[in-house]
Amino acid sequence: MAETMENPKAGLPDAADMLLECKGVSVSFPRYGAPVSEALRDVSLDIRRGEVLGLVGESGSGKTMLSRAIMGLVPPPGEVTAGTIRFEGKDLGKLDEEQLRRMRGRDIAMIISNPRGELDPLQTVGQQIGNVLRHHLNLTRRQIRERALDLLKQVSIPDPQRRMDAYPHELSGGMAQRVVIAIALACSPRFIISDDATSGLDVTVQAQVLELIRSLVSERGTSMMFITRDIGITAHYCDRIAIIYAGEIVEVAGREVFFDDPQHPYTVLLLAAFAQNERLRRYWLGGDKVQEYTGPSPVGCPFQNRCVRVEERCRGEHPALLERQPGHFVRCHFPVERP
Amino acid sequence: MSVLTVDELVQHFPIAGSKSVVRAVNGVSFSLDKGETLALVGESGSGKTTIGRCVLGLIEPTDGRIEYNGMALGGSRTIRSPELRGKLQLVFQEPAESLNPRMRVFEQIDEPLRALKVARADREKKVRQAARRVGLAEALLERYPAEISMGLQQRVGVARAMISDPEIVVLDEPTSALDPTARAEIIDLLIRIQREQGTAYLFISHDLSAVRHISHRIAVLYLGKIVEQGPSAKLFAQPSHPYSVALLSSVLLPNPRIRAGGRIRLAGEIPSPINLPPACYLAGRCPMVIDPCREKMPPVETVGEHHSVRCYRHAEVAALDKDFDSFGRFQAEADRILGAGIPASGTV
Repeated sequence: MAETMENPKAGLPDAADMLLECKGVSVSFPRYGAPVSEALRDVSLDIRRGEVLGLVGESGSGKTMLSRAIMGLVPPPGEVTAGTIRFEGKDLGKLDEEQLRRMRGRDIAMIISNPRGELDPLQTVGQQIGNVLRHHLNLTRRQIRERALDLLKQVSIPDPQRRMDAYPHELSGGMAQRVVIAIALACSPRFIISDDATSGLDVTVQAQVLELIRSLVSERGTSMMFITRDIGITAHYCDRIAIIYAGEIVEVAGREVFFDDPQHPYTVLLLAAFAQNERLRRYWLGGDKVQEYTGPSPVGCPFQNRCVRVEERCRGEHPALLERQPGHFVRCHFPVERP
Repeated sequence: MSVLTVDELVQHFPIAGSKSVVRAVNGVSFSLDKGETLALVGESGSGKTTIGRCVLGLIEPTDGRIEYNGMALGGSRTIRSPELRGKLQLVFQEPAESLNPRMRVFEQIDEPLRALKVARADREKKVRQAARRVGLAEALLERYPAEISMGLQQRVGVARAMISDPEIVVLDEPTSALDPTARAEIIDLLIRIQREQGTAYLFISHDLSAVRHISHRIAVLYLGKIVEQGPSAKLFAQPSHPYSVALLSSVLLPNPRIRAGGRIRLAGEIPSPINLPPACYLAGRCPMVIDPCREKMPPVETVGEHHSVRCYRHAEVAALDKDFDSFGRFQAEADRILGAGIPASGTV
């Protein structure tokens, strides 16, 4: 599968344009008296300079684990057991902890969900933005304060001067999320990972925050990996979309192709959840099927137990991620075809 | 005939150690017919959960009247009174937290029947029936909540609510905690049960795609007041209140070409329900604000069949965008794109 991703005829620009390259990345957790649990299996994914990639998956699919693998923060006893992750050509797996610390927050930053839970309740907004600046840049106290204030202005926080000295509990959810974005942007990173950053917000506030992220990212030419459960967001804010299921990438395509010609049954299932047509829903969502207790399927396609199109072959043979059209990868023996 | 009528409901909560109060619900009126779904939509702080709790009699309203089949609730008549027991039910947002971790699925579903003192032999049969109806396999009845997925846990929550054959079920964000596919499954399940049992739903949610699919009518709440109320399809196609427009415009459907017109963008965030704006609650954030909006709360005006709105400029708002119905346009596209993969024999 790694070979298919490397295929030069995929219409991808040359390597100099690549910012982040994951090749065959696997992350495993050992379990006592049982086979290892694989959180990620053979994940290959590239992100170009200035590109926003949407990574969509449900809880437990491994989407957060991929961001942790990139940041070098896989929680022990889990570890990256195979594959390489390159950032601007550098193999991140070869860096020591000190080098990783210098990279995190400066070159690669993260926007997390539940901002009020992640911010330090005992430090003011200004101090928390200042921490990142102090750690990575050689600035005076005065410069740090000026820069922090400037960042609060950029993320459109009203009355930034006053907010500098506010504590997280004094902020609304939307406001706290803006502070987290300001922290992520503080050192002008070249790559930002947003992990479900807007899921806890009300819809109108979510819309404001998404617009803000998009404009800041495109102004600066920052690349981004936008992790979410909500496939609807990716249609409007991402250039390319990847679907992850049970630790594997099952479909990748550019936005227009992806939503016009979704081919993996799981992708179609995600989209059908928004449809109202009863025939569509009944077919793709499986209708009134009785729910059994099903664990993951060890052999064959991981999606087989939930797939409406499952056939004998899916139960025995694990499908490869194949490039069906230039730039459109699908991991399925029987992808959905349209005339 | 309405099974539920709520008239000028007010709910204020005192703040300990302070003279101010949280004005959560500020004069809300609606009714709910048998077998109908009314959605209460709005953002955090709009009062939708408080209304649900008042309807169930879990909190005593500050003012207003709640009637269940013509009988006023309150005083000695509560959800625990014999004539009401089991007739009003609730499905919670967090399936895991609403189930007892130390009870098997069977016992969870059985609980309302025990409270109703149903004979043991009948209970067993009814629980198995209810489990089948929500699509839970027999074997799952012996499991504990922690052993099953969140989607299955919520099916248990639905089975438990439905087993006493209630007339009204308050669904408080029943899908918000779930993954998108489980969300769609629960919605389909609720629709099917309603068709079979004729239950009325008060569906509290901010998941507007689900709301569009499940509800017959929608009430849009802002700071404890209904700003617009109308039939689901009409309200989605032609909202008449600036807040409804803003709310519906923020929905992101999975199609890059379909985006509701962003004609109305609200400034800032929802104000605190402790200090309510003096006249129209939206005045401080509304781009269409005019002087009267700051002086007097706009009255409720009828703009169509069962469609009412609280805005001085509702006619202009409704005329803003003739092609507002992004949900409708999305459905046509979904039929084309998702319908293509269905084999001819796959229609059933």
